[in-house]
Amino acid sequence: MASGSVSSRLLGQIPLVTLLVLCAATALMTDRFLSPVNLNNILVQSSIMAVIAIGMTFVIIGGGFDLSVGSTAALSGCVAAMVMLEAGIGAGVVAGILAGALVGLVNGIVIAYLRVNPFITTLGTMVLVRGLVFLITGGAPIEGDYGLPSAFVGFGSARFLGLHALVWVPIVLLLVLSWVMHATPFGRHIYATGGGREAAYLSGVPVARITASTYVICGALAGVAGVMLAARLQSGQPTAGEFYELTAIAAVVLGGAALHGGEGTLYKSVIGVFIMIVLGNSLNLLNVDSYWQRVAIGVVIIAAAAADSLRSKR
Amino acid sequence: MSQSVGPESRSTSSPAEADRDAVRVRGLCKVFGATRALDQVDFTVAVGEIHALVGENGAGKSTLIRILSGIHQADSGSIHVAGRPARFGSPREAIAGGIVTIPQELRMVPAMSIAENLMLGSLPLTRRLGVLPAIDRRRMNDEAREQLARLNLDVDVRAPIRTLSFAEQQLVAIAKALRRQCSVFILDEPTAALEAREIDRLFAVLARMKADGTAIIYISHRLDEIVALADRCTVLRDGRVVTVRERGQFEIADLIEAMTGRVTADEAADTRPPGPELLAEQTKDAPIQLHAGQTLGIAGLLGSGADLKVRGLFGAGPAPVSVRAANGGATLLKRPGDAIAQGIGLVPGTRSLGLIMNQSVRDNILLPNLFQIGSIFRIDRARADALVNEMMDLMDIRPRRPDIRVGSLSGGNQQKVILAKWLARRVSVLLLDEPTHGIDIAAKMHVHALIRRFTHDGGGVLVSSSDLGELARLCDSVLAMRERQIVGRVERADGMNEARLRAALERTR
Repeated sequence: MASGSVSSRLLGQIPLVTLLVLCAATALMTDRFLSPVNLNNILVQSSIMAVIAIGMTFVIIGGGFDLSVGSTAALSGCVAAMVMLEAGIGAGVVAGILAGALVGLVNGIVIAYLRVNPFITTLGTMVLVRGLVFLITGGAPIEGDYGLPSAFVGFGSARFLGLHALVWVPIVLLLVLSWVMHATPFGRHIYATGGGREAAYLSGVPVARITASTYVICGALAGVAGVMLAARLQSGQPTAGEFYELTAIAAVVLGGAALHGGEGTLYKSVIGVFIMIVLGNSLNLLNVDSYWQRVAIGVVIIAAAAADSLRSKR
Repeated sequence: MSQSVGPESRSTSSPAEADRDAVRVRGLCKVFGATRALDQVDFTVAVGEIHALVGENGAGKSTLIRILSGIHQADSGSIHVAGRPARFGSPREAIAGGIVTIPQELRMVPAMSIAENLMLGSLPLTRRLGVLPAIDRRRMNDEAREQLARLNLDVDVRAPIRTLSFAEQQLVAIAKALRRQCSVFILDEPTAALEAREIDRLFAVLARMKADGTAIIYISHRLDEIVALADRCTVLRDGRVVTVRERGQFEIADLIEAMTGRVTADEAADTRPPGPELLAEQTKDAPIQLHAGQTLGIAGLLGSGADLKVRGLFGAGPAPVSVRAANGGATLLKRPGDAIAQGIGLVPGTRSLGLIMNQSVRDNILLPNLFQIGSIFRIDRARADALVNEMMDLMDIRPRRPDIRVGSLSGGNQQKVILAKWLARRVSVLLLDEPTHGIDIAAKMHVHALIRRFTHDGGGVLVSSSDLGELARLCDSVLAMRERQIVGRVERADGMNEARLRAALERTR
C-alpha cells in the first residue's frame, strides 16, 4: 500500500497529528477538557460511533458507500429491546445484531448483484428502515413496564479494567477486524475489489460476494452500535442514530480512506471518529453556538475531502 | 555508443538555413528528482519535414514533447520556434506559439456533437434579439463540415462524437489542430489503435500537411512506419540523443540497435512437435485447440473480436464457454475463478484490468495466489514473501521493491507483474491479449522470451494481437479473425510471416 517513503509516511499520520493538535489546543483553552468526566464522556460517545465507522470503512475500502447505518442502528436497538423483554438479554442482543446484518444483506444483494448505485440504494434503505422502526415501535421508546433488564442497562454504565465497558467493544472489534483486513485472503480481496473491481474479477476474486459481504459486515456493526446505544439510553429509541451515517462517513474520510475505494485503514477511521467527537466536545466546552458548531463540522468534512483529492493528485 | 552526427553539423549552419528550422532545440536539460530525463539534447525539425522521435520508454521522448508543448519547463537549454526564442509556461502558450500536440488518448466530450468537439474553445457566437450571446450553430456546423471535408471525412457533424470510430475521432482532433494554424504538429503514437486502411488515410493527411510546410514530429513504437514515413529520425536513449539519421540511412535493425545499445538477433521459434492437449473449445468446428509447448495466435484488429474470444476462454465473456481442459473432461467456464481453477491465466489487453494500480507489486502478485500460500483464515507471510521475491527475480521486475505501488512502474514492468501473478500460480495455459502493446522494445523482447520459456517448459499460450509481426515471430499457428469470425489460418510449417498474416486477414470470406 504505502510506498514507504518518509513523506508518504508523514502524510499517513496527518489524522493522528490533527487529533493531538486539536486535543492540545482545547486543553489549553479550557481546563474542563481534561477532567475525568469529560474524557470518559468522549470515550463513550466515540466508542459507539467507532463501531459504525469500522463497518463503514469496510464498505468504503470495498468501493462502496452506506447511508443506512443510522436507521439500522435505531432498528437494531429497538429490535434488541423488544426481544430482550420477551426472551432475555442474549436473544435480544443477537436479534438486534441480526436485524442489522439483514439490512446489510439487502443492501449488499441490491448493490452487488443487481448493480444499483450504492448511494441511491442505501438512501432508499435509510428511509425505508426508519419507517419500519416507527411501524414496529409505534413511534414510542421501547423500555417495557419496568425498564430493560438491569444486567443489560448495567453494561451501559459498567466499568472493566478501568474503562467504560462500552469502550471495550470497539477495541476488541478493531483488533480482530484489522487482522481480518490484513492477514486473511478475505481482507485482501476487499482491498482488491475496491482498488479495481474489473482487475480483481479477472484475477479470480468473487467480487460480487465480496462487495455484498462488506455491506453485511457494515450492517451487523451498525446493529452492534444500535444495541450499545440501547444499553446507554436504557431503552430502544426509534429516533436514535440520526445523522450517524454522516458523522461516520466524515470520520472515515478524515482517517484517510479514499472514497473511490481500495485505500483505508480501520484504526485511522477510529482516529477520524475521535477528531469528530473531540471537535464537537471542544466547541461545546468553549460555548460556541450550536449553529456555528454545524458550520465548523461542515468545513472540516469538506477540508478532509479536499485533502483526499489533493493527495490522490500527487 | 555511436556518436551524434546530425545536431553538431546543423548547429554550425548558416542563418539562412536556420530560418528553415521550424523548431530548434539546443542543450535542453531536465531533471526529475534523481533522474536526468533530458541531458544536453539537441533536436531540430525543418519546415515541411516529418521527423520521427524514437527511443525506449524512459528514454526522454515524452519529456521532450512535454517541454515543447508547455506541460513541463526545461531546467536549461534553449528552444527556438520559427527562428524566435520560445519558452512555454503552459500548454496554452505552446498552442499560441503554433505547436499543437495530438495525444495518444484523445480528449473528446463523448456526448457532444462532432462539430462542437471540433470547435470547442472557439465556438462562433451570435447575438439573439440583438443582445443575448448564443452559439451560432449554423456557422459552427458549416465550418466543421468544411474542415472535415479537407481531410476527406464525410460525416454528419451534428451527430455525437462517440458515434465515430477512434480513427475518425483522431481526424477530428487533427482538423481541430489545423484550425489553429499550427506550424509544428506533434503526434504521439497515432497509429497504435488504427487499422491498415486508416493508417494509410492518416499518412495521406500527414503528407499533405508536410507539403503545406508544417513541421511534423512523429512518435511511434512501430519502427516499420518510421522507416516508411520519416524524413529524419532522432534516436534518444537515457535522455541523450544517440544518433540522427536522414531518410534512407536507417533500417529497423539499426534503430533497435541505437535505441537499446545492443545488436539484436531474433530467437528462432521452438519447432518441437506439440505435446498433449491443454485446452480446446467445445464448439462444432472447435477452432481453438491448444497443446503443450504450443503458441497459438489470433490475429485481428481493433473490433475484430479477437480480444473477446480470449476473454471468453477465461470465463469472463458475456456467456459461459464450454471447454475441454487438460484432464480431458468438459468444463463450463462461468467466471474467471473457474478458468483459474483449470490452470488458465489471462493477461488482459488493458493493463489497468490486469493490475490493481493503487496497490503494491507484492499485493498484485499475491492476489490470485492467496489461498495457495495459506488458508482461508491466514496468509502465510513467509511463504508470500518468498514467492514474491522469487517472481520478481524471475521476471526481472525493476525496481526490486515489492512494496512500491504498481501504478508507478513502467508499462513493461507492469506487464511483467501481470505475468508473474500467473506464473506464481503455476498455470499451464496463458491467454494473452495484446501482450506488448505500448511497451518498449527491450521489455517487448523480454516478454517474448518469457512466452517462449513458458511454452518450452510445457505450457500453452494463446495470444491475440494486432501486431502481426509479433504473431509471426511468436506463433506456431495463427487464426485470422474478422468481424468475430475466424476467416483464415496460417501454419508455421507453411511459412509464416507478416505479409501472409496480413493477406489472411484481408482476404474476404
